[in-house]
This record gives sequence, structure tokens and C-alpha cells, in this order.
Amino acid sequence: MIDIGHFLILAILLFSVGIVGVISRRNIFVMYMSIELMLNAVNLILVALSHHFEDLNGQVMAIMIIAIAAAEASIFLALFVMLFKNARSLDANFFDLLKQEKHND
Amino acid sequence: MIESSLLIWVIVSVALSSLTLMLLTIYNKYNNDIAKSIYPLLGIGGPFISLLFSIFLIYTLLINETTLYYKAFTWLDIEGFTIQASLMLDPLSAAMLSFVSFVGFIIHLYAHAYMGDDTSYPRFFAWFNLFMAAMFLLILADNPFMLFIGWEGVGLCSYLLISYYFDNEENVQAGNKAFILNRIGDFGFISGLALLFLYIGESGLDFASLEANVHLIPSSAINLIAFLLFVGAIGKSAQIPLYIWLPDAMAGPTPVSALIHAATMVTAGVYMVARFHFLYAMSEDIGLFIAYIGAFSALLAALIALRQDDIKKILAYSTMSQLGYMFMAVGLGAYSYGIFHVFTHAFFKALLFMGAGAIILALHHEQNIKKMGALRSKMPFLFSVMLIATLAISGIPPFSGFFSKDAILNHLFASGHFDIFAIALLTAALTSYYMFRLLFIVFISPSQQEHKLLPQSQLIKLTLSILTIGIVFTGFINLPVFFGGNENYSIWLNLPDMRYGLSHLSEIILLLVNVSFALIGILMAYAHYKDSSVDPSFGAIEKWIKNRFYIDELYAILIVKPIGYLSHLIVYIDEQLIDRFIHLISSSYQRLSYYSDYVQNGNVRYYALYMSVGIVSIFIYLGIQG
Amino acid sequence: MLSSIIFFILAFATLSSAIGMIYFRQPINSALSLIVTLLSIAGLFALLGGSFLFLVQIIIYAGAVVALILFIIMFLNIKEENLPDEPYKGRWILAMALLISPFTLYLISLVNKMEFKSLHLQDFGSIKDVGMKLYTDWVLPFEMISILLLIALIGVVILARKEKGRD
Repeated sequence: MIDIGHFLILAILLFSVGIVGVISRRNIFVMYMSIELMLNAVNLILVALSHHFEDLNGQVMAIMIIAIAAAEASIFLALFVMLFKNARSLDANFFDLLKQEKHND
Repeated sequence: MIESSLLIWVIVSVALSSLTLMLLTIYNKYNNDIAKSIYPLLGIGGPFISLLFSIFLIYTLLINETTLYYKAFTWLDIEGFTIQASLMLDPLSAAMLSFVSFVGFIIHLYAHAYMGDDTSYPRFFAWFNLFMAAMFLLILADNPFMLFIGWEGVGLCSYLLISYYFDNEENVQAGNKAFILNRIGDFGFISGLALLFLYIGESGLDFASLEANVHLIPSSAINLIAFLLFVGAIGKSAQIPLYIWLPDAMAGPTPVSALIHAATMVTAGVYMVARFHFLYAMSEDIGLFIAYIGAFSALLAALIALRQDDIKKILAYSTMSQLGYMFMAVGLGAYSYGIFHVFTHAFFKALLFMGAGAIILALHHEQNIKKMGALRSKMPFLFSVMLIATLAISGIPPFSGFFSKDAILNHLFASGHFDIFAIALLTAALTSYYMFRLLFIVFISPSQQEHKLLPQSQLIKLTLSILTIGIVFTGFINLPVFFGGNENYSIWLNLPDMRYGLSHLSEIILLLVNVSFALIGILMAYAHYKDSSVDPSFGAIEKWIKNRFYIDELYAILIVKPIGYLSHLIVYIDEQLIDRFIHLISSSYQRLSYYSDYVQNGNVRYYALYMSVGIVSIFIYLGIQG
Repeated sequence: MLSSIIFFILAFATLSSAIGMIYFRQPINSALSLIVTLLSIAGLFALLGGSFLFLVQIIIYAGAVVALILFIIMFLNIKEENLPDEPYKGRWILAMALLISPFTLYLISLVNKMEFKSLHLQDFGSIKDVGMKLYTDWVLPFEMISILLLIALIGVVILARKEKGRD
């Protein structure tokens, strides 16, 4: 029989997939979507635990997270538009202006 | 025991004048009339006041026949180690004080005439007075630590005054040489003091307590202490092997040579041995060692002086030689004869140096005797006073040198050490030979060149005359019994001399032998030098003598060069190894930071990677912990 | 029984579309996989009894957010040459999966240690209950989220504006 533990395991796996996606892919869209995946995994944990503890607060928190994710999505994509217009590239390796400059002492 | 605060004033008056001169020099230059009258007043007034106080103190001592003392303050008071800053005047220190203050004052007058218009006049007199202060402290000290302070002080002033004209590199090196060799001796002296403290330090460290407790020192240590203290005297009084600084010290102005390196500082070693008589009386082996060192130093110095051409260097070697006599005396237990010779030597040696200085001044700073000659007709007064002094140093009666030297020689014979006596006798002949060589070449032998003489100052003549009177008359204060006297001086000094009985016949024979050896020296010198200033050749040994037996060169090879190599090695280790190592540490940090820069590559994915690496490690750790 | 089957189907769909999302080269494909993932998660929410959340997830996340993403992807007119070439994509993914595995395994082991009741289907989070909670306990965050959305709106408008005459 299925119990909450399985949901939690699934959520953990999804979270790990999200981390792998952020690190491995160079395409900034995929990176962004992996982040969204991580947020969803967290939502899943919250709802599962709220079911376990019979407490509605978990679900409300999940709603908050969804709302914030929506706001964040708009900002992300606006920035992607600007980046693409300036650099004509979607490569995450390309945007390294904040790197440490090499200097010889 | 009487307390007298005048003791401290003897020292303080010269110290104050020295200090005032030092301060004034900073603010004023010696080029206006006010300065010209203040500076001599301070420079000569300080020693004069000290002389007055000394006379009064000695008078008080003689009247009351007791020791004067003065305690200034307690310098150190640590558990089991107490040193008082206190002064003492007993017959021994009074004997030293008498001639140091008197001859010192006379030489200050002479220095005023000698330094004359030199613009660094105040600096000279500041150091000169400081020297007097340190010497007084040395003499009047109540305990060996105060003595050592004075000891170091005179060493310092010797250095300052030798390298007085410091623009010249040679003068500076001479000063360094003097100070370094002195320091080597001081190492022995301090070690001896430390051992003294170790064994009998608890019950008081002044001379009286040390004398009372000296029997408590185990016999194994007594010899060592006596030897170590004597090492200090070797350095200070220029005996073998630490004598090489004394000829070089003649680089200083002539008044410095007269006061410091003839009359006073170099005799501090003899005074120290006499002061520690209670120690040396218990250590006859070391006493014998001292006597041998004195004998060989006297002989070596006399040999070298035979072929020196610089007038001051001849006198320097003769000082070393006479110091050898003093050490022969105190080494074999004749403390009062040694001190008496110190006393008489101060007068005639100071006069010889002052006369030499007058000659040098008159001949426009010419110091080579081969370039002088036939000065008798031009400077008759100088000739006569130098003649008297030379007769005194050769031991011809009735001058003071005869009485002191004869007493020493008799004592040497009577002690049974005939080898030392023979060396001393030979040296006496050599002494009169080389001193009269100097006199004849300078005054009698025909001169190679025309001399334009500068006029002599009256002040110089006055000071020379005063000292001549001293030479003529001071011999009689220690008139031996043989001549009908009472040896008053020796009795007054009250030191535990070894007394050997000599029959009257032996004494007469010895007297004749001594005087005849001296006369032989004079006659040979007369024969060689009355007509020419060319030295007759001795043969093969002449080259050795002329090069001072290559001792300086030997020391350079044996000691100076290895130390040079050692210091180069240490510099090498310091620069190459230690500095490189430190630099390696710092440069490795720089390299580390250089390579750490690669981490911050601006790429967000890598940052996420590093974060996850951190998180994973934490979780691995948690997992392992269970 | 039925719930277990539904759970496994939904779980499988979620995981496979998640893995597909991070694997596809074209962003359109990834976005479509994301939709499948989100819908599956919505289903999982429904399984857990959160009916309101099921609706919210579909409407906002799958409906608005992903729609926005698709719109931007198409707006930018991405050509083949604009996409980054990722030569070692597979190896990176495998390596990272290996790196993350301790983290994942540890958490799973933690979960296994815990005791859970089995799933009971009920309508746990009805709209009325969640709404009551939202407007009583959570009213302040609720209002602040609305301000947040306003700020995001303004920010996006400013960011995406054409530069005209600004230095």
C-alpha cells in the first residue's frame, strides 16, 4: 500500500533531477525549468506532509510558493529576453562578466 | 671608618663638567669669544676641582689613619645579591687617586695648549673629563661591580678618544681594535666575577667582605677565578696576547696617549690585581703565570721598540714593557712595589708623551724620528726634560724610576725565580738602549733636513716642568732601608707583600748590576746614534723585529679571517636559506590565491556545482555518522 | 488499491518527463515535458486530497507560467545557431547524478526510517477550508504576495521596454 513515504521519496528524486539539470545543462531555458522543477518538488513534500499531519497550513504554503514562482517566472523571462537581445546566445557559459580577472602580482 | 661625601664629589665634578660640555656642544660652536672662555673653564675646571677634593681627602686619610667611605645608594637588592653604589678610600686607592688626579690635571692643562684652536675642542674635553670620571669611579669603587663600571667607562672613553678624528678610517679601526680586545678581556673579567659571586656572593660583595670570605672558596676554583680576573687585566693593560691595540691607539691625539695609554687606564689592570691581593695571595700558581706574562710582554715590547720609527709607537711599546714590570712585581707578591712603579711610571711616561707631542707640534705634525735630528740646539728646554725622563725610565739614580725599578728587580731576584729576573734585567738594558736611541736620534744625531720650528707654548713648558719636578723628587717617598729610608710608601699601603730577606751585600751587588746594565744600554745607544740616525743591522732577526714579529698578521690569519668566513657563512644561510624559506611561504600563498581565482569563473552552473558539492559532503558526513 | 496504481502511473510520468525535460536539446521540447511533469504533480496533489491545489497548479503553473515560457521561446525566434552546443551533455548529466546520489540516498534512507500511515483518500483541502485558512491566518502573506506580483509586473515592464533615448 502506498503511504506518504512514497510521495516523499518521489519528491526527493524530483529535487535531485532538478539539481542535476541546473548544473549539467548550458541552455538557460533548461536551467530555469529545472529550478521550477525543484520548486514543485518542494510543493509536493509540503502537501504530502500536510496530508500526514492533517494540517492545512502546508497546502497554504504551497499556494504561496506557486504565486511567488509565477512572479519569478516573469522576471526570469524578461531577463532572458534582454540577454538574448544583447548577446544573441543562450549559453550560460557565455555570461561570465563577474568572473575574477587574472592578474599577475 | 669615616664617612665623607667628598668622595662622590671627586667623581661628580668631572662628570658634571663633561655632561655640561656635551650639552653645550649641541647648542654652540667653538667660534666666538664667549665660547672660548667657557669651554676651557669647564674642561680644566672640572679636573681642577676634583684635584682639590682629592688632596683634601688624602690629607684627611693621612691624618685620621682610617678608611673613608661613602654610600650613595643601594643599586641592586635581589635575594642573595646585593650591590651597593658606594665608594671607599683606603691607602691603595689613595695612592692611585693621588697621581691620577694630579697627572690628569696637568695633562688637561697640556691638552688645552695642544688642542688650542681645534673646533672640536668641547667634544674633546667632554670625553676627556668623562674619562676622568670613569677612572675615579674605578679607583674609588667599594666593590668589584662598581669597579667594573669604571673599567668599562674608561674603555669607552679610550675608544671615543682614539677614534677622535673619525673622518680618517684608520683612526676608527684603531678605536675598534682597542675596544674589541678590551671586550675580550672583559669576558674573562665578568666570568671571574660571576664565579666569585657564585662561591662567596651571599655574604656581601664589597672588597672587605670578599677579603673576609675568600678562604671559603674551594681551592679548585681559586686558580680559575684568579686567572679569569687576570684575563681582564691582560686586555686592559696590553699584555700578551691582547696587546696589539696599544700601538694602534697612538692614532689618537697626543694628550690622549699621554693620559690614557700611559699614565692611567693601562694601569687599571695592575690596580685590579693589587686590589684583589687577598685572592692572588692564595693562588701562587696564577701569580707565577702573571709574572711570566709580564716578563715576556716586557721583553717582546722592548725588542719591537728597538726598530720602530714613529716616536709615539716607541713610547707605546715602552709603556707595554713597563707594564710588564708592574705585573712581574704583583705576580710574585710585591704589590706595593708594583703600585709604586705605577706611580713613578705615570710621571715620566706622561712627560715623555707630552714632550713627544711638543716635538710633533713644533715640526708640523711630523712623527717619524728618522726625519728629525739635531733639535738639541733649537729646543734646549725640551731636550733637558726629555733627558731627565729618559734617565728615569732607564732606572738611573737618583730619579724616581730607579727606586721603583730597582725595588722590583731586587724582589724578583730574591724570590728565587732567576729566569724572570734574567728576562727583567735584559729588558732593562734594552729599555735604556731604545729610549736613548729615541733621544739621540731626535736631539743629537745630525738631521737630514732643515726644520722650520713653530714656537712652543709657555703652558706646555710649564706642565713639563711640573712633571719633571715630580720625577726628580718622588723617588724618595719609598726610599729603601738600604739607603737609610723606611720604605714609608710601602708600609703605608699596607698590602700583604711577600718579603724576602736579602743581605746588604746582595743588595749592593744587585744595585750595581742593575745600574750597569742600564748604563751599557745607554753607552751602546750613544755609540750607534751620536753621529747618524741609521740603525745598525742585527742580521737576520732584524726583519722580524721591524715587522713586529708579524703578530698582527698572525692574528689576522688565525682569528680575523675565520670569523670573517663564519660571518659570510651566516649571511649566506640567512639570505639564501632563511629568507628564501620565508619568501617561499609567502609566495606559495600568492600562488594559491592565483590558482583559486579559477574557481570564480563567473559561470552560474559551476557555482551551483560547488554548492552541491558542499551539500553532498555534509550529507556524506551525516551518512557516515549514521 | 486503485490509489496505488494511480500513484505509480503518475509517479512514472513525473519522473520520466522530468528526466526528459533536462535531456532535450530544443527548449520547446523541454517546455512540453515540463507541462507533463506539472500535470502529473497536479494529479499527485489531487491524490493527496488537495483539490484546490490541484486546480491552482493546473491553472497557474501549467496554464500561465509554462504558457509564458512557450511564448518567450517562440518570441525570441531561436535558430539552431543560437542554441549552445553541448557536446558532453550525457556525461555531465550522469556525472552529476552520481555526485548527487549520496544526498538523495541519505534522504531516502531518512524517509524509510519514519513511520507513516497509509494513504486515505478524502477531500482534505477543499476550497472552502483553504480559503478560510488563507483569509484568517495567512491574510498578511496573502496581501504581501499581491504586492509582490505588482512589483514583478512593474519590473517586467521596465526591463523589457525598448531603450529609447536613455544613456
